[in-house]
Amino acid sequence: MKPASSTAPVDAFLEESAATASAVSIRGLDYFFGQGELRKQVLYDINLTLPKGQIVIMTGPSGSGKTTLLTLIGALRSIHEGSLQVLGQELRGLGNSKLVEVRRNIGFIFQAHNLFESLTASQNVEMAVELVGNFKNKRQQAAAMLGQLGLGERVSYKPASLSGGQKQRVAIARALVNEPQLILADEPTAALDKKSGRDVVTIMQHLAKNEGRTILMVTHDNRILDVADRIINLVDGRLESDETLSHFQETHDPKKLDGQMFIL
Amino acid sequence: MFFKRTPLALLNLIHDRRKFLTSMAGVGFAVVLMFLFTGFMNALFDSQLQLLERLNGEIVMVDRLKTNMFVPRAFARRRLYQARSFEGVEAAFPIYISDANWKNPETRRTRPVRVLAFNLADPVLLLPEVTTHLSQLQLPDTALIDLRAREEVGPKQAGVVSELAKRQLRIVGTFSLGTDFASGNGNLIMSDQNFLRFFANRGPNEDERSFATADVGLIKVKPGTDVNRLVQTLQTRLPSDVLILPKDGPNGFVERERTYWQENTTIGFVFTLLTAMGFVVGIILVYQILYTDVADHWSEYATLKAMGYNNLFLLSVVLQEAVILSVLGFIPGFLVSALIYNAAAGTTGLLFKMTAGRIIGLYVATFFMCLISGAIAVRKVQATDPAEVFGL
Ligand SMILES: Nc1ncnc2c1ncn2[C@@H]1O[C@H](COP(=O)(O)OP(=O)(O)OP(=O)(O)O)[C@@H](O)[C@H]1O
Ligand SMILES: [Mg+2]
Repeated sequence: MKPASSTAPVDAFLEESAATASAVSIRGLDYFFGQGELRKQVLYDINLTLPKGQIVIMTGPSGSGKTTLLTLIGALRSIHEGSLQVLGQELRGLGNSKLVEVRRNIGFIFQAHNLFESLTASQNVEMAVELVGNFKNKRQQAAAMLGQLGLGERVSYKPASLSGGQKQRVAIARALVNEPQLILADEPTAALDKKSGRDVVTIMQHLAKNEGRTILMVTHDNRILDVADRIINLVDGRLESDETLSHFQETHDPKKLDGQMFIL
Repeated sequence: MFFKRTPLALLNLIHDRRKFLTSMAGVGFAVVLMFLFTGFMNALFDSQLQLLERLNGEIVMVDRLKTNMFVPRAFARRRLYQARSFEGVEAAFPIYISDANWKNPETRRTRPVRVLAFNLADPVLLLPEVTTHLSQLQLPDTALIDLRAREEVGPKQAGVVSELAKRQLRIVGTFSLGTDFASGNGNLIMSDQNFLRFFANRGPNEDERSFATADVGLIKVKPGTDVNRLVQTLQTRLPSDVLILPKDGPNGFVERERTYWQENTTIGFVFTLLTAMGFVVGIILVYQILYTDVADHWSEYATLKAMGYNNLFLLSVVLQEAVILSVLGFIPGFLVSALIYNAAAGTTGLLFKMTAGRIIGLYVATFFMCLISGAIAVRKVQATDPAEVFGL
């Protein structure tokens, strides 16, 4: 623990212990794109704590900054203002090679599967296992993970001979095989049909519940909101609401919501 | 650990078969260009030495002013007799050389050729055909013709009768040597007696030739003799109107001839420039291949970065692809070049040598060609922003 330099040492201590107990802790985060005259603020004073083992869904209109926030938490961009702690590590001011290390503890799932067409399902997953230096058991580990996701029969298939849902499950296997404590997903079901999307979310829910993983998922997909412990809403770069699922469902009448979407 | 990694570079390269074949053909093409240009350059130089390398002796004597085989300067033959009295000298043979016009018996057009002549009793040239045709060559006005002479000289076979320096000559056989700058369209071999018949009295405008002078002297040494020492002795003890050199070695006659042509013609410059162009074409082609690979896998590479792979890893993937391309492109390029060398040697009469040193040298060039392209393409990968994989 580093010595507190603040004038209020007790506060600093409390904040720090809160941060280590949670997977993600954000305080006063502002974020800007561009330089000089083109400088544009996209995130305003974000304060957010994600306790371990929670599934959090983030919604919000297009362009509100959801993806940007995810890339910041994922150590894919550096922050300049505020504080951002991920898995007990303060990211602000961290050098590039340190950021790369932080990424290794995070599982990323994107809208696009981004699998190498030249590699089999297993090899794609193995690329992640190799990252932690585990060369001996990489095959077994990859096969086991794919098996858990119902792809036991498909380990040697190339992406070209897999369906969209299967490809996305391979991508999930790749994100999860190193058992990351934090999983960041950006619209993981957007490219999938209803059933595949449901399957993917169910898998993630199991992980969070049984293995205490923290999941932050951006989605517009109303059908999967029920897996969330908590739903946060980002509008124009500001956290507008942060509520439990039941409260969210009370205030967002599904019929009313459907009606809105219809008008759009 | 390296070998347990998924061979991403190799798999990416060969995944798309058609693209892979095109890539190999591209690198192969650059390799062929380099082989072709260095091949012609080497052939032009090597060919100058074909005759000299066949000379059956260890020491060569020429007129001091004969700076290369193209210069028609003869020296006093008695220098060779003087040389015979030195310790270690086994024999000393005079060789007579002259250019003359040969009439193609089919087209009736004349072409300059080179006539090589010597005493048939002397084992001057390491050509088996000379010994097998000894008795026929002793007949007046006969000669052997070079099978590798250029097509312009007409049919190359025994029985051909035509005119050499306006005097009838009968071809009684063939041998295989090849052309060079000084040989015109090809070589003829005849006895020294016949040489006199043709060149002793060719008319007022031509040199009169006799056995008093020789063009090249060849000295055979006794086994176990220190050649360089003997050369020194001969050079200091004989008059300085002749130049005496060992045939082989870095300061030898053969090397002097090669150096002359390298330093006094633009061949080296022109062909080195052309080879460099092949090299640059290769860099551009390989860069295109690697760049396309990076561009095609942009989001996959960015994903690797997001997963926690560092730039160094991505660099190594691109450089591995470059090295693999250099090997897989070199092999077909080399095979095609070997075929071209064969064909070119057949039509030009030049000597196309594919030596191990030259093959290794060009592979090294290919390797660096690919490495340079890789180094340029790598900058593109480094610029990959892992944040870009989100929200594409
Ligand atoms: N690399 C960038 N450079 C400059 N501006 C950017 C960049 N990426 C995003 N932005 C801007 O930042 C704002 C937030 O973008 P972001 O991608 O985070 O939105 P989002 O909530 O993920 O939207 P969507 O639901 O459409 O994915 C947008 O106004 C966008 O134009
Ligand atoms: Mg987005």
